[in-house]
Amino acid sequence: MNLDTAFLAALLLSTLRQTTPLLFTALGGMFSERSGVVNIALEGIILFGALTAAVVVERFEAALGPGPHPWLPWMGVLSAMTVGGLVALVHAVVSIRYRADQIISATAINLLALGAPSLVLTYFYGNATSSKEVVNRLPLWGPEGFALSPLVYLAFLLVPLSWWVLFKTPFGLRLRAVGEHPEAADTLGVNVYRMRYVGVVLSGILAGLAGAYLAIGFLNQFVRGMSAGLGFIALAAMIFGKWHPLGILFSTLLFGFASALAIQLQGTEILPAVLVQAFPYVVTVLVLAGLIGRSRPPAAVGKPYEK
Amino acid sequence: MGVLKDHRRLGVLVLLGGGVLLLLWYLAPWAVPHRLFGGEGVLLNPFGHHLPQGGLPPGYSDGWLRLLFYASLAWLLLALLAPWTKAPTRGLYWAGFAGLLLFLLTYLLFQASVAQVNAGAERPLLRRYSLGLGSYATLAFGLYLLLLARVFSPGGLAFLVRRRGLVVPVFSLLLASLLGGVMVAVLKENPGEAASWREAAMLKLDLITYTYQLLYSPLVNPSGFLQSLLLATPLIFTGLSVALGFRGGLFNIGAPGQLILGAIAAMLVGVYLPGPRWLVLPLAILAAALAGGLWGALPGWLKARFGAHEVINTIMLNYIAASLFLFLISANEYKFFGNTLFLPFKYPGYEARSHEIRPEARIPHWTDLVAPGGELSFALPLALLLGLLGYFLVRRSLGHRVLFGLLGVVAGYVLGGLLPGPAVAFGPDLTSVRLNGAFLLALFALLFFHFYVFRTVGGYELRAMGLAPKAAEYGGVLAGRKMVLIMFLAGALAGLAATHYVLGGGIDEYRLKQSLPYSVGFDGIAVALMGQNTPLGVGLAAWLFGILLTGGLQVNLQLGISRELVAVLQALVVLFIAAGGFLPRYFTDPLRAAEVELKEEARKREAEEAKEAR
Repeated sequence: MNLDTAFLAALLLSTLRQTTPLLFTALGGMFSERSGVVNIALEGIILFGALTAAVVVERFEAALGPGPHPWLPWMGVLSAMTVGGLVALVHAVVSIRYRADQIISATAINLLALGAPSLVLTYFYGNATSSKEVVNRLPLWGPEGFALSPLVYLAFLLVPLSWWVLFKTPFGLRLRAVGEHPEAADTLGVNVYRMRYVGVVLSGILAGLAGAYLAIGFLNQFVRGMSAGLGFIALAAMIFGKWHPLGILFSTLLFGFASALAIQLQGTEILPAVLVQAFPYVVTVLVLAGLIGRSRPPAAVGKPYEK
Repeated sequence: MGVLKDHRRLGVLVLLGGGVLLLLWYLAPWAVPHRLFGGEGVLLNPFGHHLPQGGLPPGYSDGWLRLLFYASLAWLLLALLAPWTKAPTRGLYWAGFAGLLLFLLTYLLFQASVAQVNAGAERPLLRRYSLGLGSYATLAFGLYLLLLARVFSPGGLAFLVRRRGLVVPVFSLLLASLLGGVMVAVLKENPGEAASWREAAMLKLDLITYTYQLLYSPLVNPSGFLQSLLLATPLIFTGLSVALGFRGGLFNIGAPGQLILGAIAAMLVGVYLPGPRWLVLPLAILAAALAGGLWGALPGWLKARFGAHEVINTIMLNYIAASLFLFLISANEYKFFGNTLFLPFKYPGYEARSHEIRPEARIPHWTDLVAPGGELSFALPLALLLGLLGYFLVRRSLGHRVLFGLLGVVAGYVLGGLLPGPAVAFGPDLTSVRLNGAFLLALFALLFFHFYVFRTVGGYELRAMGLAPKAAEYGGVLAGRKMVLIMFLAGALAGLAATHYVLGGGIDEYRLKQSLPYSVGFDGIAVALMGQNTPLGVGLAAWLFGILLTGGLQVNLQLGISRELVAVLQALVVLFIAAGGFLPRYFTDPLRAAEVELKEEARKREAEEAKEAR
């Protein structure tokens, strides 16, 4: 086994790329859970976001011709964020307004994300598993050989930004208050329901962003089940990162590294590919079991609030 | 005062329903005497037909429709007036029953009109005929009137609230179906050409109706019926698995992984353990349960020991199980750090599949159970009969009754097997359905669930854990150990689902194959919620989804709509049930339900006293 620089550089770049969707989703999950709503629907929302981005870009290409349209991928990103937010809104309405069990309501959305894309794909492309490949992917920014999708930079920029929002703004204070002690926040005049809606929808927008990255940044089409448990791994990373942006940065980098390692090891004779693919999932289980120890979720997470 | 307000509300509700009915009568076809391939139908409506390719089939008379239309209008008028009479609920009962009769009349007239044309012809001229949405709307409005009459008579709301375990899932299913209908309307263009917007609407509504007719068609044809039982078998197991977790306060999303482990274990025993049938088959089934159980117990232990949430862990274990599964059957040679590892499991060839299960370890096909050797066997009916007799006639403790029931089953099976039976032959459309003994195993699993959860101390503790974990622990339940046990049992049930595929050849071969549809583990969530975590409910819900999945194939074949429509319907059902069907909260909250029931009791008593005083 030769650990030359080329291998390491590829590993580093791959780690950054693998971390990006995890980071978006985990930060999203953080906003949702800090407001007191568990959102395991993020997995499904990633799929909806990816589907939206791929289909929107492809449809525009079909209408306008393939020629380079620099604005088109951004259009895809925006629509993925919108759809992500809307799907999260469904989860929010059902679990906040109708006080549903948050895990069941989110599971319903995940189930929907397994079936609904096939209907859409059959409608547009006549097959149930993947969309047509697009030409206008997200661009690559950066020096030759180290060029990365702008969304990668955005993901890492979001870390300090969400730290600032969460801990240095009145909005962040309210969001945390609503998740820790909704009665107290309510007494002080904070609209508990509104804060929770905002938290959940924000998580959906970010997960939609992650989906857009997968579909038109990482690949150039939507493939059925392309999220492959990413949303759940992101939630584990969020727990491991103790619901804190910096902790989440660290833990998603760990998971991103595990995935990147798995990818780099594929096709080598070190370990069989089928087993290596399971690597990030094993790490998740181990991390949740062994290192969780002192991490404490927001006190009111998962509980519907009643005025 | 309250009575007057009730009257007005009832009147408005009937009026609203009547409005929708009238609209559907105007826009939807009343009957479809003939349907072309591809879905376009000859649509009959009293306001004008839609006739593809020049007119009605020769000799068909649509005179009955006009007659029926005037009768229906008169009925609707009477129904609308009923709430404003002195005894509104009684009037509505009559109107409701009249509606059912009217529907029956429609059905008979339509069948007669079709038979008249088909009788004379050599090959039936009219094919794929059925009533249309307009007629079904008559039936629905009749039922709606009956429901309103019941709800608005004294104690009526309590009647509904007490049955909330049925009301919420059924209402959610109706809502999901409605939304599914909208989706069909959006995703699929009309099959025929329309001259007016009313005709276009008629085609659209017929398309939606036809989709649902196809989805439920397995109910009325024998091979579809068997196929629906076939697809229901694994759903029963996984539904029970999820339901057991819910009862114990745990959310088991790990059924797919547990099923995979069960399948691997069943394959290992079924392929490699030599021995006679009576030994190998039970061992293979047990191995599936054990492996699934252990895979389920793992996240249970992780939760009990480390507080790691079972939802994420069970999901992760699904992916790990899938990798393990592929590792075993996709190749026989692997490189580990330069060394080569040889595995014996993969069958030679391009496809990822195991060797065949030995004949001794196979679960028999349904024809071998119902009629071994072509002679109808009395073994199963007699086993059922003696089992029930043993259970219900013994007047001792529960343990004795179950024991005698089981003895009755065995005795009946042996006795029935010895009796000679008449020879029967099944058509190829029935024998090709791969329904097998795993279905009986699923029925046993339902019984096990019922007895364990509702009739034993262990089950009582389990339910206590689900309702109030702290109180249960205070009451002496060892919470950690119980958690592991619950997840073990849930995993074992999911693992048993694998016997249907691997040992029973539920898809096409007696092997472990890459095409193992382990995602039925996720469908178990919908089944458990739809069945409200009761064994009877899970059985019925699994069958319902079995019907829809079977029908989904027809929808795909005939209309070109993806079969995933059924998956979407399932997901919507889960979502709506989670939201309590968007019904008032006394349908989901037991305390509020009790409040309503008490209030309604008082109202009923008041009404009775008032009656007596008069």
